[in-house]
Amino acid sequence: MTSPYAPHTDDEVRDMLDAVGADTVNELFDVPDELLHDGEFGVEPKDEREVVRHVDELLSRNDDVVEFLGRGSYDHYVPSAVDHLTLRSEFLTSYTQYQPEVAQGSLQALFEYQSMLVELTGLGVANASVYDAATALGEAALLAARVEDGDTVLVPETLLDERASVLRNYVEGAGLSVVEYPTEEGNADVDTVAERAEEAVMVYAETPNLRGVLEENLDALGDVAEDADALFCVGSDPVALSVLRPPADAGADIVIGDASVLGAPTAYGTGVGLFAVDEAHIRQVPGHLVGASTDESGRRAYTLTLQTREQHIRKERATSNICTNQAWLAIRAAVHAALLGASGLVELAERCVEEPRALAERLDGIDGVEAPVHDRPCFREFAARVDDAPRVRDELLERGFAVHALNDDEIQVCVTETNADATDDLVAAFEEVVA
Amino acid sequence: MTDDARVYEQARWSDDNRYEPLLNEKDETTVDTDTSLPDDLTRDTLTLPDADEPVVARHYTRLSQENYGVDSGPYPLGSCTMKYNPKFTEDLAARDDASVHPSREETAQGTLAVMDRLQKHLARIGGMDAVTLQPPAGAAGEFTGILVARAYHRSNGDERSEVIVPDTAHGTNFASAAMAGYDVVELPSGDDGRVDVDALRAAVSDETALFMMTNPNTLGLFERDVREVADIVHDAGGLLYYDGANLNALLGRARPGDMGFDIMHYNLHKTFAAPHGGGGPGAGPVGVTDELAPFLPSPRVRETDEGYEFYEPAETVGKVHGFHGNWLVLLKAYAYIERLGDAGMRDTSGKAVLNANYLAEQVDYDVPYGPPHHEFVASAGERDALEVAKEMLDHGVHPPTTKWPEIVDEALMTEPTEAETKEALDRVAAAFNGTRDSNADDAPQNTTARRVDQTEAARNPRLSWHALDDG
Amino acid sequence: MFEVPDSLRYTETHEWIDPETGRVGITDFAQDELGDIVFVDLPDEGDEFEAGDEFGIVESIKAVSDLYAPVSGEVVEVNDPLEDAPEMVNDDPYGEGWMVRFEFEDADLHSADEYEEVQG
Repeated sequence: MTSPYAPHTDDEVRDMLDAVGADTVNELFDVPDELLHDGEFGVEPKDEREVVRHVDELLSRNDDVVEFLGRGSYDHYVPSAVDHLTLRSEFLTSYTQYQPEVAQGSLQALFEYQSMLVELTGLGVANASVYDAATALGEAALLAARVEDGDTVLVPETLLDERASVLRNYVEGAGLSVVEYPTEEGNADVDTVAERAEEAVMVYAETPNLRGVLEENLDALGDVAEDADALFCVGSDPVALSVLRPPADAGADIVIGDASVLGAPTAYGTGVGLFAVDEAHIRQVPGHLVGASTDESGRRAYTLTLQTREQHIRKERATSNICTNQAWLAIRAAVHAALLGASGLVELAERCVEEPRALAERLDGIDGVEAPVHDRPCFREFAARVDDAPRVRDELLERGFAVHALNDDEIQVCVTETNADATDDLVAAFEEVVA
Repeated sequence: MTDDARVYEQARWSDDNRYEPLLNEKDETTVDTDTSLPDDLTRDTLTLPDADEPVVARHYTRLSQENYGVDSGPYPLGSCTMKYNPKFTEDLAARDDASVHPSREETAQGTLAVMDRLQKHLARIGGMDAVTLQPPAGAAGEFTGILVARAYHRSNGDERSEVIVPDTAHGTNFASAAMAGYDVVELPSGDDGRVDVDALRAAVSDETALFMMTNPNTLGLFERDVREVADIVHDAGGLLYYDGANLNALLGRARPGDMGFDIMHYNLHKTFAAPHGGGGPGAGPVGVTDELAPFLPSPRVRETDEGYEFYEPAETVGKVHGFHGNWLVLLKAYAYIERLGDAGMRDTSGKAVLNANYLAEQVDYDVPYGPPHHEFVASAGERDALEVAKEMLDHGVHPPTTKWPEIVDEALMTEPTEAETKEALDRVAAAFNGTRDSNADDAPQNTTARRVDQTEAARNPRLSWHALDDG
Repeated sequence: MFEVPDSLRYTETHEWIDPETGRVGITDFAQDELGDIVFVDLPDEGDEFEAGDEFGIVESIKAVSDLYAPVSGEVVEVNDPLEDAPEMVNDDPYGEGWMVRFEFEDADLHSADEYEEVQG
């Protein structure tokens, strides 16, 4: 059997072998005999229908549960037009834009993505994406280490363990260690940050943080970082930033986060690393940047630019090792944002404030539930205090609802427009479980 | 119609301004903040476009027409394996069942089943014992592999400081090693374009943590001395890393694990046909030998009597991605492997190597190193490789990778993949050869944009709408 | 042929220095090899270097080159306009395109004739 995607006829193969002076395809391989393998891996070829059935069967083993899950991965409704437009194969099957003359489409779309993030963050430069929020945080710390003195990165204790682990892996080679600072009622303990900032190259805060709480001390944290000659990095996302003050207003030098809240399903954590930075550090940015220029006929044209930062030119002195990024998903985020428009984005963000507030209020009305744990504005999700949180989580799951158990006595619930119509059922399930 | 009569014209809108409704219709929208959020947390205005769906649909449809993809025509971009991307895998990736939250485990048995099966497929294909799917791209795979090597050496009480990389290696090898804190030692190639075994012997020491190698290398040459290379590196206490960018040449025919490699990454968006998406997402799973498996990133998937579960390897390096990597890419690659089966995979490498050999034969430019496998590097000689590339665009052919690797003068690094017919390759060859006697310096003419001024873009960076004069 | 003024002294890494003024730049040959220069990163006034130290970088679209101090000494002046107009290095490498001025004791460098052999 031949590959269905290698379109040669037998006659063609023979003609081509003749042209190169070989009798068989096998003899084209300049591989010593002892290194040859018979290619028997036990995978039977299948026709397309069989593969579809097989994969559908596997995927059907995923239980049908209503997810009230967040903590870094969020579900928003993706309009159908996003699929139809971005699945056009000219976008989907092209490479990184090393020949800009035939890649104006994806270059312009990425330029739009960058432009939207510039507006949302208030910073001068956004790149064409890194992998996800965790690696964006790692890249931010490495950037800070190149421009500031110090040997620590300060992060909140609420930082997701997974993100902290990625961050440690990114910064160890640069000789940095990751130091946590405490939070009070879900917000940064600014005094402790100030005490610990002296050695830091970067102070990091999230709004909303992984408990859904909006950070109210950004200005103070920005001042602390500036006084300590450290960069200030804020983690957020494009939906939240549609209503929140641009972090640059609070002195942020870098904004990171996950842009996959737009344009992508919650595909087991597939992300889009948002990376925006103050213009002063433009030559320290990791990854691809799309810039506007002109072509020979004087028309506006787009191109990848400032490429001397990147690994294919600067090798071990590059600002990052990243090459392949999340470009197609970044374009999807831009298309989604364009479809929503400014007013749609604001409406969506407002819903992310109202839905969790309303749900928290209803849960708080149940005996044995205290919600939210922190008396602070929340976005998409909130923590709730219950007795024996793991039991509550498990029993809710038996009833078809997935929530997080943070520890023995806190659960976390995430609600957006995609699961809001299941909140009545969730509340009813809660009443049964907690009673 | 003869090949010469074919003229490529890419879509282009001939009005003075490009079609940019998002930019043109960008207007001020005042955010009403009558949510429960305190005023000092919120912005007053949001300045983004507010276009309706028909306008947005036409905008991005036009942009797509201004883009060249694998479905548009030949795309023999060396080192990038721009093969055909099957359509049905996109439908699978769009299934509701494929879209679950990353914190699910017991209730996501289907997702874990796909991951476990893909790990096993990749391990067998590469001759490795254990595979992690977490790295989201090839460079992330390299970084992961280097972290694993570092942890392994440390577990032996061995702090090593150097990673050795051949001068023809991908730039990511150098950058990934440096990111992990290693000094990078660049190894000059031998006269035949392969690893100079004597030079390697002189370069290794008890500081050598890792030697990174691509095989076939970026010239398309198989490193026949790879077993000797492995012995040299292992005798010095170092580990051997396989950069999987060129695995398409060996699929089903030779395995890095059998060559003596300890660590490798797979580029699922190259060898296993997941689309490149204009730069990503990709996936760069990493395979290792049994000895290194305890150091792999956490969590790993395994099959138990009750189903599938995650677990933390005993001496894990931790995480290299916030969640589980680029799951959608993993799913597409799994479906591709299942579709091809053993025979289809072996046929893939055969046709890829046949196509590269055939095209190399048809091209009039000198190919200084051989024999090629999945790709060859021609030299534009007296011509500027960049000019050759721009001229090829006018023939409706995406040009090769230019001016790299540097050991070939004015390099044209060409990888046709298995997906081109003989007729398409003849057309690519005609495009190549048509540039030989030309001295044009004003190509391309038939593309959406004429030659784009890179110098202006870099001297005066304009990276968002805010920076555009008429924005 | 590239211009190599007799009055200047040269390094093998293609920097020039004017022994009278202490001004330093890159040669006509070097700017031509690099192509259109898009960015120059220079040290601050008061920075001190040993001969052969990297004191800055110069970038074209596709290449980055280190700049090496031709002499040991202190940077006493920096040609700030290059920051916004790096093309001056291409247009006038020995004039407007100078980069920094060094205060230095003595220099062991090539004459114009010797440098012409370096650039081959």
